[in-house]
Amino acid sequence: MKHLIYSLNNIWTIVIFLAFVIVGLLLIFPLYNIFVASFLDNETGVFTLQNYTNILGRRYYRTAIYNSVIVGLSSMVGALIIGIPLAFFTTRFNIKGKSLISTLAILALVSPPFIGAYAWITMLGSNGWLRLGLESMGIFMPTIYGPLGIILVFSLKFYPFVFLLTAGAIRTINVSLEEAAESLGCRPFSKFMRVTLPIIFPAVSTGALLAFVLSLADFGTPSIIGRNFRVLSTLAYNLFTSELGGNPGLASTVSILLILVSLIFVYIQRRLIRKKDYGSDMLRRPEVKQLSRVSSIPVHALCYLIVFLSSLPSLVVIYNSFRKTSGPVFKSGFGLDSYRRIINDVPDAIFNSFVFSISAVLMIVALGTLIGYTVARKPSILTGFLDSLLMIPYIVPGVVLGLGFIVSFNSKPVVLVGTATIIILVIFVRRLPYSVRSSVSILKQISLGIEEAAISLGASPAKTFLKVTLPLMMPGVFAGAMMAFITAINELSSSIILYVGGTVTMPVRIYLSVLDGEFGTAAALSSILLAATGVAVFAIIHITESDEGVFL
Amino acid sequence: MSTVQLNNLNKKYSDVEALKQFSLEIQSGELFTLLGPSGCGKTTLLRTIAGFNRQDSGTINIDGIGIDNLPAFRRDIGMVFQDYAIFPHMSVEDNIAFGLRNRNVSRQEIKSRVADALETVQLSGLEKRMPNELSGGQQQRVGLARALVIQPKILLMDEPLSNLDAKLRIELREDIRKIQKKLGTTTIYVTHDQEEALVISDRLCIMRSGQMVQVGTPWEIYKKPADHFVASFVGNMNFFPWPFAGLDFHDLKVPTVIEDLPAKTNVGNESEKLIVGIRPEDVLISNSTAKLKSQVIHLKGTIKNISFSGREAQIHVKLIDGNQLVAHITRPGERLLDEIGKTVQLELPHKSIMFFNNKSGLRR
Repeated sequence: MKHLIYSLNNIWTIVIFLAFVIVGLLLIFPLYNIFVASFLDNETGVFTLQNYTNILGRRYYRTAIYNSVIVGLSSMVGALIIGIPLAFFTTRFNIKGKSLISTLAILALVSPPFIGAYAWITMLGSNGWLRLGLESMGIFMPTIYGPLGIILVFSLKFYPFVFLLTAGAIRTINVSLEEAAESLGCRPFSKFMRVTLPIIFPAVSTGALLAFVLSLADFGTPSIIGRNFRVLSTLAYNLFTSELGGNPGLASTVSILLILVSLIFVYIQRRLIRKKDYGSDMLRRPEVKQLSRVSSIPVHALCYLIVFLSSLPSLVVIYNSFRKTSGPVFKSGFGLDSYRRIINDVPDAIFNSFVFSISAVLMIVALGTLIGYTVARKPSILTGFLDSLLMIPYIVPGVVLGLGFIVSFNSKPVVLVGTATIIILVIFVRRLPYSVRSSVSILKQISLGIEEAAISLGASPAKTFLKVTLPLMMPGVFAGAMMAFITAINELSSSIILYVGGTVTMPVRIYLSVLDGEFGTAAALSSILLAATGVAVFAIIHITESDEGVFL
Repeated sequence: MSTVQLNNLNKKYSDVEALKQFSLEIQSGELFTLLGPSGCGKTTLLRTIAGFNRQDSGTINIDGIGIDNLPAFRRDIGMVFQDYAIFPHMSVEDNIAFGLRNRNVSRQEIKSRVADALETVQLSGLEKRMPNELSGGQQQRVGLARALVIQPKILLMDEPLSNLDAKLRIELREDIRKIQKKLGTTTIYVTHDQEEALVISDRLCIMRSGQMVQVGTPWEIYKKPADHFVASFVGNMNFFPWPFAGLDFHDLKVPTVIEDLPAKTNVGNESEKLIVGIRPEDVLISNSTAKLKSQVIHLKGTIKNISFSGREAQIHVKLIDGNQLVAHITRPGERLLDEIGKTVQLELPHKSIMFFNNKSGLRR
């Protein structure tokens, strides 16, 4: 009998052990190597601060830091300006088609950002149809290239974080507080600014932080439409892959700075929301108010304009994919030219993308569910530590982890560079937290009493897990798997560093095609990615009946 | 039908002692209640018996056999949970059959035993329902059926009624008692609701800070509380210092047998100062000019406040020395509220008065 208990405890001990090995090997080790490399001279391999003095001392590099922070902050402000009103209107007023609005916002959120960048080029690039169209009407638009374009793409891309988090918080606020403010003479706008917004500040600022950190980490967008506008992520990539011979020391230093900037902002946000959890058990939910006829039209127009603009890139891409092409040039009329081309020219990219992401997702689900269970149900110093280690992938940009993998697995005994394994592993460790987190959050909704009931009825812990806990966890496990899949198949920033000819994936191919001006190929591949993403989102919404939280 | 012995159980959570040298014997077939304020250790004790947490020291025996080394799923103890813990992904029938399937009971027997269990809890016909189609009361009935159908040696109930509304609570507690008596399963019931505890139990144990304060029948607990804590926790009680501070003894109209009361003998002895307690329903109110009775303390006071709750009313009377006393009257009259401000005479029968030591709280 005792034996049985011990052997069961052992399963969870093994899970914890395995998790630490994996996190250590695939996360800590590469980052440690980057950290060390940033202090080494490329030629001699001795300790030096040269890399840091170079980056911080030379204007060329300093500008990149400055640019990254400016773009991150501006995109964050843009996301707030778009996301907060949308959240407020859709939660408090009878907006028609609310679920359509949030579905479109979710689709905008999960579709890859480089598709947005590419689509905006076809609209507002030098020869973009929208720009030329407006020009013929006498309205001169600047091109999408440069910092403003990046900020526009990021704002329209990351506002759903703010929107979904804020909407969730506004929906669960204790409405008595607002009524109290009103009875004390607060006007509606000042009530929102002085009472509502401070109370939901933790949620709003979390959304803002996500927008900032992801803007900072994104590689594709600034690389495609930044032109000469340097940011840290593109700088790290260029320093590493430069045709004049890469500079791993400088690239590592830029990577460390990139992580540092993210960490500083995470820390600031944590400081700001400290002791600001005003969670309330009160169940007086706000009522949905009827809009007057006069205000109804502009409010609806605003809400739909926002989600339309953020879905526009996807629509444009799909539209482009069906246009007739001649070589890289679009012609008038519709056809399947682009699809024929990608099936003939780059079937390996399509195949690789699906194989890599599905393999990674299977590993993620298997391990993530078990880790999630130990974190949620066997709280200890170890599992707590594991849980915080698993936050690391959220703040480490893909470019940085990709660099870390190259530095770490390039020499004996483990040579993985150039293999499919390395791409699968980097996706695996980057997206493992999705599965862990969704398992933990569904376990929080499953009362511990249910497991205890099964045990008191004579089911062994193993049987309880398989027959009771796991079936109840399924919606969360599935949603986590789908989210991992979406992010895996759209992964660009780490694969762009790790791919070789044979392991090219769709996002990498799209990126290369856009750079080469092969817009038809890019559109068709992007459409396939969008379709896969859409199916996964549909599955999450309709099969698991999860709330919007899983997409964050 | 099984007996339960708890011997010197200790359990510590970081720096809180949830159980201190706790010993108890529960008779076969008994419905035994653990009653105490939140944090007193009653739930810890129940979960320790169930095997969900392990005591730091001490032993638990069922029918004289130690179960300390048995994991929870081998203990053969049924449990009913506060939040029902009905498996949401299984039908009513599958929920109830769950424990039987773990015991490799034959298909046919499962069917008949599930049907019996459903009949016992009056849910026949709801076999195929899913939990989300049931009300809270029905879910808890499923919880009870699920725990009973395995014919456990003992049944543990952890505040099973606290999530239900008042009317349902009363209905279900009567059913629980009926079913328990019919099946004779030794049952340990945890609650913080003193009225529920009195109604449902054969015997109950009052707990405080991980320790047992008193064990007895509901009548004993209510009428002969071991100390000040039990007296104030179970039911309502008027307390005031004895002798009355600042009250002249000539105002205290005690025509007879004051000699029998400890008051007189102990006046002034600091270590033996007493607190007097009397239940509101034992205090009688009469006209201020009513005749004095023997074996009764008579006190004068003014009615300060009356709270009327339908079948009864609480009369708050301020005594001359400033102390307040509450008297409970049943079937209050229509002009009740006009009485506020009136001077009345309170009658405290000697036999209803309890004395507690001021320091230890123990009843004399």
